Amino acid sequence: MSRSEQSNSTATDVDEVIEADSLVEEVSIDGMCGVY
Amino acid sequence: MAGIDPGSAWRLHPQVSVRPEPFGALLYHFGTRRLSFLKDRTLLRVVQGLQDATDARAACAAAGVSDDHLPVYLRALGTLAESSMIVERPAGDHGAEHAA
Repeated sequence: MSRSEQSNSTATDVDEVIEADSLVEEVSIDGMCGVY
Repeated sequence: MAGIDPGSAWRLHPQVSVRPEPFGALLYHFGTRRLSFLKDRTLLRVVQGLQDATDARAACAAAGVSDDHLPVYLRALGTLAESSMIVERPAGDHGAEHAA
C-alpha cells in the first residue's frame, strides 16, 4: 500500500469515528440537583 | 469504541426509555442514570428496529442505512452498547417470551 493510500485509509477511519461520535452524545445526570 | 459485529443481535435494555425528538431521540437509562442523545433520526429507527431484526445489519438496512454508511452506524451502536443502552441478545430471539 502506498503512503497516500494509507493516508486516505486513515483519514476515512478517523472521519467515521468522528461521524459516529457525533451521532451519539452521552451525559450522566448523577450529581445534578433538582432534575430527578 | 469499535463497532458492534453486524451479525450480532441486539435490543434495547429493558430499563431504557426512548423519547423521540426533532433532532433524533433521547435515551434514558433508569439503572445507570445516563442519558444518550441520538442526533440522527435514522439511528433512532435503527435502535427501534433492533428487537425485531435478525441482526444489527438487518436493523440498519431496514432503517435505510446504505452499505457505505454501515460502519458509522455500527460504531454508534457500539457506543450505545458500551453504556448498556442496548444489550446483546441470542440470535433468533425476538423477545417472543415477552409477548406470550
